Amino acid sequence: MESSSIQEPFDLIRLSLSERVFVKLRGDRELTGILHAYDGHMNLIMSDVEETIMIVDVVDGAPPGQPATVNVAKRKMEMLFVRGDGVILVSPPSRT
Amino acid sequence: MAFFGFQENNLEEERQRIRNGGSRENEDVAVYTWGEESYDGLGDALQEGGDDFNDETFGSSGAVGKDFDFAGQTSLLEPELTQQKNVSASSPAQPRVDAASVRPIEQRPPGGRAPSSLESIWDDRSPFSVLPRENGANRFAERPSASQFSPFPESPVLHQPNASQGGARTLQEIEAEMRAAALQSRGVSQRQQNAIRVQQEEEQFLQDQAYQRRLAYQREREAERELQIQALQRLQQQQVMQLREQQQHQRTPPPRMLPVSQSPRFLDQRQILLLQQQEEQQRLQQELQEQLRMEELERQLRAQQISQLNQGPIHFNHRRVPSGPTLAELQAMQQQQLHRRQRSQSPAYQDFNINPQNIQLQQRLLAELAQVEYLRDFQGATQAEQEALRAEAMRKIVETEKMEDRRRKKAAKIAHMSRYNDLMTQSDKDFITRIQVSQLVTPDPYADDFYAQVYGAILRSRMGLQSQDERVLKFGTGGGISLGNAQKAPTRRPNAMQRMEQQVERIVSNARRREEEKGLHSLHSLQGALGKTSGRSYKAAPRQLLQVDDASTSPTLAHAHAHISKEDAKDKPSEGAAKEAAKLSRETLGGTGNVVRKDPLTRRQVLAALEAMYDLVLKVEHLRREQPPLEEEEASQHWQKEYDDLVEQLWEGLKVMVPLETSNPHPFVSLLSPSKGKKLLPRLTRHIGSSRMLTLMTLLVACFTQLDVVKEAPLLDALEDSPERAETERQTQAFLGSVLQSILPIVANLELHVVTALLGLLIDRSHDIAAVAKTKPGLALLTLFLSRVEVIKQAWSTGAEPVDVMSAQASLEQWQAVFDQFFVLLTPHFLALFPSSRITLSAHHPTSAALAIDIIDQPVWQFLAALALQAAPEQHQVLVTSLRDKVLENVLSANKGWVADEDERRTKLANVNLFLHALGLDSSQIAL
Repeated sequence: MESSSIQEPFDLIRLSLSERVFVKLRGDRELTGILHAYDGHMNLIMSDVEETIMIVDVVDGAPPGQPATVNVAKRKMEMLFVRGDGVILVSPPSRT
Repeated sequence: MAFFGFQENNLEEERQRIRNGGSRENEDVAVYTWGEESYDGLGDALQEGGDDFNDETFGSSGAVGKDFDFAGQTSLLEPELTQQKNVSASSPAQPRVDAASVRPIEQRPPGGRAPSSLESIWDDRSPFSVLPRENGANRFAERPSASQFSPFPESPVLHQPNASQGGARTLQEIEAEMRAAALQSRGVSQRQQNAIRVQQEEEQFLQDQAYQRRLAYQREREAERELQIQALQRLQQQQVMQLREQQQHQRTPPPRMLPVSQSPRFLDQRQILLLQQQEEQQRLQQELQEQLRMEELERQLRAQQISQLNQGPIHFNHRRVPSGPTLAELQAMQQQQLHRRQRSQSPAYQDFNINPQNIQLQQRLLAELAQVEYLRDFQGATQAEQEALRAEAMRKIVETEKMEDRRRKKAAKIAHMSRYNDLMTQSDKDFITRIQVSQLVTPDPYADDFYAQVYGAILRSRMGLQSQDERVLKFGTGGGISLGNAQKAPTRRPNAMQRMEQQVERIVSNARRREEEKGLHSLHSLQGALGKTSGRSYKAAPRQLLQVDDASTSPTLAHAHAHISKEDAKDKPSEGAAKEAAKLSRETLGGTGNVVRKDPLTRRQVLAALEAMYDLVLKVEHLRREQPPLEEEEASQHWQKEYDDLVEQLWEGLKVMVPLETSNPHPFVSLLSPSKGKKLLPRLTRHIGSSRMLTLMTLLVACFTQLDVVKEAPLLDALEDSPERAETERQTQAFLGSVLQSILPIVANLELHVVTALLGLLIDRSHDIAAVAKTKPGLALLTLFLSRVEVIKQAWSTGAEPVDVMSAQASLEQWQAVFDQFFVLLTPHFLALFPSSRITLSAHHPTSAALAIDIIDQPVWQFLAALALQAAPEQHQVLVTSLRDKVLENVLSANKGWVADEDERRTKLANVNLFLHALGLDSSQIAL
């Protein structure tokens, strides 16, 4: 029954409606939040969103072997419209 | 070769002859013989010197460009050579040739031909000219001059095919030709043309005069006469010269276009004189032109004044306004002219006038003078009025110009905007409208605009307006346009709205009719309405190289496969049937304990099933909106059947009837685990009958401990904010708000024995009823049951419900037994029911959370109150003993002011009183 209802990739996203999803965005950003709506452009409307931004600081003139420092910035938003062109991945959050 | 009319020559013979050094005498082709013995040395005889004044004559040649005119350079030699020849060859025939070379040839009688001019002879284009000249001596002389055998392009001006003129042309003709060409190419203004025309007339006149004067000069030689004539002659010559000079400057013709009289040598001799007299000439010329222009201007002014006087308001020909002079300019001109007229009384002018042979010119000038005089008189008489009029005219002109300017700008704008007028026909516009409207038409306008419709309905109901069901336009069978939300002010533009609706309706009905004629479904017509998307992505997939047709390519394999698959297909249902049978038998034989166990639904299965359920719900809701009126029996029956079918599917989808022990959690519980599953339930209850809802509730109670909200409830006791806690909180709220709300009406109608059974079931199925009671949903459910029992009891005691005493008594006894069991089970955990107690046990909570905790505790107090109502007196004792500390703590903190604010105090007291009132006590009675 459940397999018959899935005919296209968007059907999989539909399954996650009003569920918490993990969204990977361009620009080293990640979102987790509850998916409320989406469209064919992968525009998303999410609530209760936490955005995680990876900021990689490469020190100028540092030796190539030295790892760049990675800062993680987080912020929370009650409601968010995500433009679809930045969306790389939408997945249900990993369940433990 | 004879075809071309040439003498038939054998080419081979010819070549042979040339190779043999054959006689050149018979040749009719010019042969260049430089470097041979027979070379006549004429190339050396070319005059190389005498080019000292070339720069003055032709202007200093600056940097040599790429577009150097070789032909022009070569033909430079032409005039000189011509003159040489003229001097040398024809001197015996013409004794006055010296004078001719000095004076301009145009001083000859006009129309006189110069047949001896080689220039014109070379220009001869008669067929004979191509033939070799009879006097062979001339032939070699001609060669360097690049005559008809010249490989260079010939002068276009001199060789303009004026065939009618015969061979030779005079300089005047050439000059006229040049001037005409100049006029044509320049597009000179009218005034300049006038000036030139006058000049031409003068020239003609002067030329005539010059001829007469020459005769007179030769015959009479009278002194003073001569002086006068010479002065005049000089002036006239200068004027003529000046004209030519100007033309040369204007056109900068190539040197070969110079008339013979202006050949370099001539210019050399005249140059000094020319330079000296140039200034004066220019002045005179300018004056002449100025005068002519002035006349023109005055004529205009006169016309204006006359029209002004005659007609009052000025009607200008607007085309003339920009080009014509303004009045201020005219005034300035008039003053200038007056000034000049005084100046013109110079002796030269007088001389010029006195000259009896100039009578014609004089008369003309006099006439003009008189005209000007008259004008001046006319103007002078009404000077003041004139000024006023002029000012008025000026103002009006400016005004009119402004108006005109504005009008023109406007017209230009309109013209610019109307460029695309009428590009589209009415049918084009209709077509576009149809496309736009067709995009709005949907099979289910209500569903497509669902949220706006619902929002509008809510808004309308809130504003107390009569609620139209749907703000949609419907057309025939199903299609329609949603009109979205209703305007807040319905009377605002009702007409426009109505008109739009009518228009759209008309368009759509037309479109639909057309579609029906085409026999297409409306959806098909919509496809590609806005252009086709290139659905190429699938085509870009790798092409299938192997096209294995099962039947044809490998029959044995295919058959085998088909056989196998058929076997499979056969096996599966039989297997399923067997399983089903086994299950049934087991169920019938061994009861509920022996159900075929399955894995619980995976999360993905749950989600997919929920989506399917939502689809069904939407379908059902849609169907309900389209319920036909009961009068239409057939449609009603059909609708009912469809509806029942869908509801049945819904019920199936809920998996409530799946045996209890199939899996843990039960599929139904699994379906409830996502929040959207919980939220689905309230939407279902209105479709599912109450008996089925009771079944559903029973299942829910039976599987209560399997619920995620019950299992995860301990997470809520943690104060730390974690994603899991937040999620559980969310789910709990959803459960309380959706699931319990949807079963509330069921519970409210339950009989006492059913409540008893449900409580018993809950106690049975829950291994630890206290754990259930420690969860919010559990507490809420228990409170619900206890309240229902209390309500039933009160109804019985007041006699509101007629009741069979015997059965009621039995029910009550049953209930009391179950309740006692429940109370006993719960007794050790009374204190732990409070979230505040659990939290304080685990950690020291910050004081800021105190109020929140009291609110959290509130359901517990409620539950305890409900419990106390059902409890027997000895149970009350137990309750009070257990909760004594909790009650005292609350009352103390409230009375002693250990609270943050008044709100907290009141909440604490309210909570305690909630419980104490159930016992018949009050917090105020507590002695501290």
